[in-house]
Amino acid sequence: MIPQETAEAMLNGSEAARGQEIQFRSRYPGQSAMWFFVIGDLWIFTCYFACYMFDRGQNPEAFLRGQQTLSQGIGAFNTILLLTSSLLVAFCVQAVRAGAIAQAKRWLLLGGGCGVAFLLIKAAEWYIKISAGLPAGADDFFVYYFMFTGLHFLHVSLGLVILTLVFRELKTVKPPQTAFVESGATYWHMVDLLWIIIFALLYLMR
Amino acid sequence: MALLRNSLTYVWLFLVVTTLVSWWLGAGRSVMGGEAPVLALDFTVTVGIILIAVVKTRFVIWHFMEVRHGPAWLRWICDSWLVFLAVTVVALYQYNS
Repeated sequence: MIPQETAEAMLNGSEAARGQEIQFRSRYPGQSAMWFFVIGDLWIFTCYFACYMFDRGQNPEAFLRGQQTLSQGIGAFNTILLLTSSLLVAFCVQAVRAGAIAQAKRWLLLGGGCGVAFLLIKAAEWYIKISAGLPAGADDFFVYYFMFTGLHFLHVSLGLVILTLVFRELKTVKPPQTAFVESGATYWHMVDLLWIIIFALLYLMR
Repeated sequence: MALLRNSLTYVWLFLVVTTLVSWWLGAGRSVMGGEAPVLALDFTVTVGIILIAVVKTRFVIWHFMEVRHGPAWLRWICDSWLVFLAVTVVALYQYNS
């Protein structure tokens, strides 16, 4: 249990309080299995990114032709949506540590809502792309586009399932296991950071 | 407002601003409603965009995932992964073009 005084200061999010709290725990947030999974996943994605960069380099003009048809504005909006979602889930973790469970549930719902909005926008983007017809001569780019955005879509979906389990934990278990909530948040932040890289490589780079 | 006293709010603000900067870098004038440029190979813009993405990723890992308070081995794994990613992406971009 975290001392009451530390918990109250943590709810206010002050830096000193965070230091105290970490000294108190002195370890990584969540369960080690989640970190094992996250680090493994990041390395697998790194291999995909390397394949993409290699193939793109073989025929950069064709990839740029494909990229030209994407909406960078939608990509940027979706990035901000996921960043906001990450922030809200981080607030949820802070609230759980401070014992403010009702507040934690509200942050979690808002964070999950941003995740759902991300998926809906992504699906709309696919629909627009496919119904408008893919440009000729950009097949390789679109193979990667659908692979990366599709894999990421699955990650967001799994993330929403995990956030639902976290919500159930907050609702039914008293007091909820902090490590379980932290693990769910760690996974959700990984989904966010993967999108940051995908946005840069698929939508923005020249 | 408790939110304004929370350092994570400022991390988020930084991430949003850098997202907008990289969007402007990648999409050029079309961000402001101008005509979309024809995209062409551009080493400087690409490296800038990749660097911004790497810095943003570091901020997410460090502050949202709280690795900055984690054990040394975890910080080391995360940072070496990021360096490896950045070097690989830029090297493959440069190697072929």
